Amino acid sequence: MQKWFRKSECWKVGILEHWAQCSNITLFHYSSLIVFVITILSFPLQSFSAETVKFRHVQSIYFDEKGGSLKQPEGIASNDKSTLIVGDTGNDRLIQYTFQGNIWKPGAEMKVTQLTNPIRVQMNSKGEVYALDGKKRRIIQLSPEGAFKNYIDADGMPAASTFVPKSFKLDPNNNIYILDIFGARVLLLNSEGKYQKQIPFPQGYGFFSDLSVDSKGSILLIDSIKAMVFSASKDSNSFSPLTKNLREHLYFPTTITADNRGIIYIIDENGGGVVILGRDGSFMGRQLTMGWNEGLLYYPSQMSINEKGEIFIADRGNSRIQIFTIVK
Amino acid sequence: MKVKLKRSLIILGMILLLSISLVYAQQNKFKLKPEAKGKLCLSCHEDFKEKLKNQFIHTPVKSGECSECHNPHTAGHGKLLDEDANKICSKCHEGIVPKDPKSTHKVVMEGNCVKCHDPHASNNKFVLLKEGNALCVECHKNIGNAVTKAKFKHNPVEKGCMNCHAPHASAKAKHLLKDDMVALCLSCHKPDRPAFEKQHMNYPVAKSDCSSCHNAHGSDKAGILFENVHQPVANKACTQCHESPSSSTPFNTKRAGYELCRGCHSSMLNDTFNKNRIHWPLVDKTGCLNCHEPHASKEKKLLLGNSKVLCGKCHSDTMELQGKLALKESQEKAATKGRVIKGSLTHNPIQEGSCEACHSPHASDSQLLLKQPSTIKLCETCHDWSKHTSHPMGEKVVDSRNKNVTMQCLSCHRSHGTGYRYMIPFPMVTDLCVQCHKQYKK
Repeated sequence: MQKWFRKSECWKVGILEHWAQCSNITLFHYSSLIVFVITILSFPLQSFSAETVKFRHVQSIYFDEKGGSLKQPEGIASNDKSTLIVGDTGNDRLIQYTFQGNIWKPGAEMKVTQLTNPIRVQMNSKGEVYALDGKKRRIIQLSPEGAFKNYIDADGMPAASTFVPKSFKLDPNNNIYILDIFGARVLLLNSEGKYQKQIPFPQGYGFFSDLSVDSKGSILLIDSIKAMVFSASKDSNSFSPLTKNLREHLYFPTTITADNRGIIYIIDENGGGVVILGRDGSFMGRQLTMGWNEGLLYYPSQMSINEKGEIFIADRGNSRIQIFTIVK
Repeated sequence: MKVKLKRSLIILGMILLLSISLVYAQQNKFKLKPEAKGKLCLSCHEDFKEKLKNQFIHTPVKSGECSECHNPHTAGHGKLLDEDANKICSKCHEGIVPKDPKSTHKVVMEGNCVKCHDPHASNNKFVLLKEGNALCVECHKNIGNAVTKAKFKHNPVEKGCMNCHAPHASAKAKHLLKDDMVALCLSCHKPDRPAFEKQHMNYPVAKSDCSSCHNAHGSDKAGILFENVHQPVANKACTQCHESPSSSTPFNTKRAGYELCRGCHSSMLNDTFNKNRIHWPLVDKTGCLNCHEPHASKEKKLLLGNSKVLCGKCHSDTMELQGKLALKESQEKAATKGRVIKGSLTHNPIQEGSCEACHSPHASDSQLLLKQPSTIKLCETCHDWSKHTSHPMGEKVVDSRNKNVTMQCLSCHRSHGTGYRYMIPFPMVTDLCVQCHKQYKK
């Protein structure tokens, strides 16, 4: 797109040059005109670039504080207090990282017997850690120091016997949203883990792998089979399609995240990339590709984005965490 | 006033005359003499005289209107046909395919009418090339063989495929069925008969999908059930899974999802739940029925279809890629005219529909539900890699691109294909090698 605009500028400037020669216009007028034309031409360029999101690789994390390697990490959560929690799935543990001196440094390992296979991780505003155990299919709550506190079993929910959490998210008020694939519903719990309400999955869905909550409280679901995003606004009790089938942009979407501006990021697991959508579901671009070098992904899993716009991706197949910033 | 009327009548007469002459000209566009029709053609095409002795003759042939389909002078299509061979029949036979059909016969849609019909004459009704089922099984060989071999036959199939199927298209049902499957079955089978009720354990199956248990083409199992029958069905123990037939919701299952299956398949499910990674659809609302039939199936293990179809239901991206690669491979092979091109574009297990060669369908301790934690060992089950590479591999050989991964088969290949030979992620082998061996990069 940028190239096209540059080409347009040259073409228009050429015409102006010819026109200036014919009509004996002074150099001052000519320069003013060029400035005017460039300003006009650059207007749409600026408005496009405001909508363009590009990732720049900043750092890759490979080790814990003792130099031990990460092994197929699937979960990741970040907050604005410079804390990063990694679900080091292959090693059955969580690891805390903190931002010090411009880099993320490994901290304490969180290993409790109640958690064996952390595939999704979240943090609340108090720094408490929540993790979904993929093997036991239970969500546990840990203190900021990593001590076991609770199981989040959605107390008071209807049809409790059909409850299998596939994923979950926390909103800024620490409410918990659980993707219950057995119950075919999204459960909303308060910060104490008490059941508030449920929203059934929409008719004709394929398979929901992940959910997210945007800054306006809308719940987003990613359907891996139909390659579609469904959404339910904050007070709604039903989901409706936000996008059409996105297969032309991705292979197999598995996780979804929204930033504080409402921009939606979808991890394409089989394609090793990230698809970016606007709040209204419009396609904004695709970033990254499959590979082993830094900046490339190999069957990535969860993604997290903080207030500063830093993006953290659990690069499962590459057994590392990759950190990117957004370049506008 | 009279003059005006006269003029109108004259004009009307002229229009009528013109129309008649135009129609006549159209009908006899080659201005053949009445006695020349057909006979003229037969004076050269003598072998056709024999053909015309057949019992059923295509109407234009019978009336000697050879020029309805053929141009006697010159044509842009083979056999001096007036139109493309795939379109010419539809000139007269419109409406063969109903509007918004639920299913269509591929050959009809391709305009390949001569696959079934003789355009001139035959001894079979509708100028068909062969009589009855013999024609259908020419293409549908598998069904033909199964029907012949079946121990328990379905009478209507024996009598003719057309008892249930429409030959061209169906406005009402899939698989070219003349009507909705249940309605079709009930046209012969009366569900209120005591024998029917007894066979179905008094469950009100009149509105159920008969094909979830029965193979309409016949089977080796009594009651023409599919070859693989779920044990409770075989034992007529429906209440093992369903509510009682006298209940207000007799078809409701006693438990939801995998919880129902756990009653009998507890050891399999316990093994599954003891693995680190589960195939998530197994624990969703549909559970085991995402992949398995609950009653009977022609596939082993009561699967809904072969892996290619079954896995492709959800993993269409992988199957579509393989489909494209197979097409590319066959096109490239055809272009080389017999010269062998080294390196495959496709992976055999996927092409053969055996995803389970590499993946565990229920659960695994390895990522991507692979059968073994080491891809080297997994690939080794089919490939003797030591014969094709001396490249160092294994747990002790660190990948120079990533210090947390070691060299293994998937360091260079992608098992689902890439579009490049040897299933490597680059067009040239050297492009791949210089990823690590940077000193050789130009």
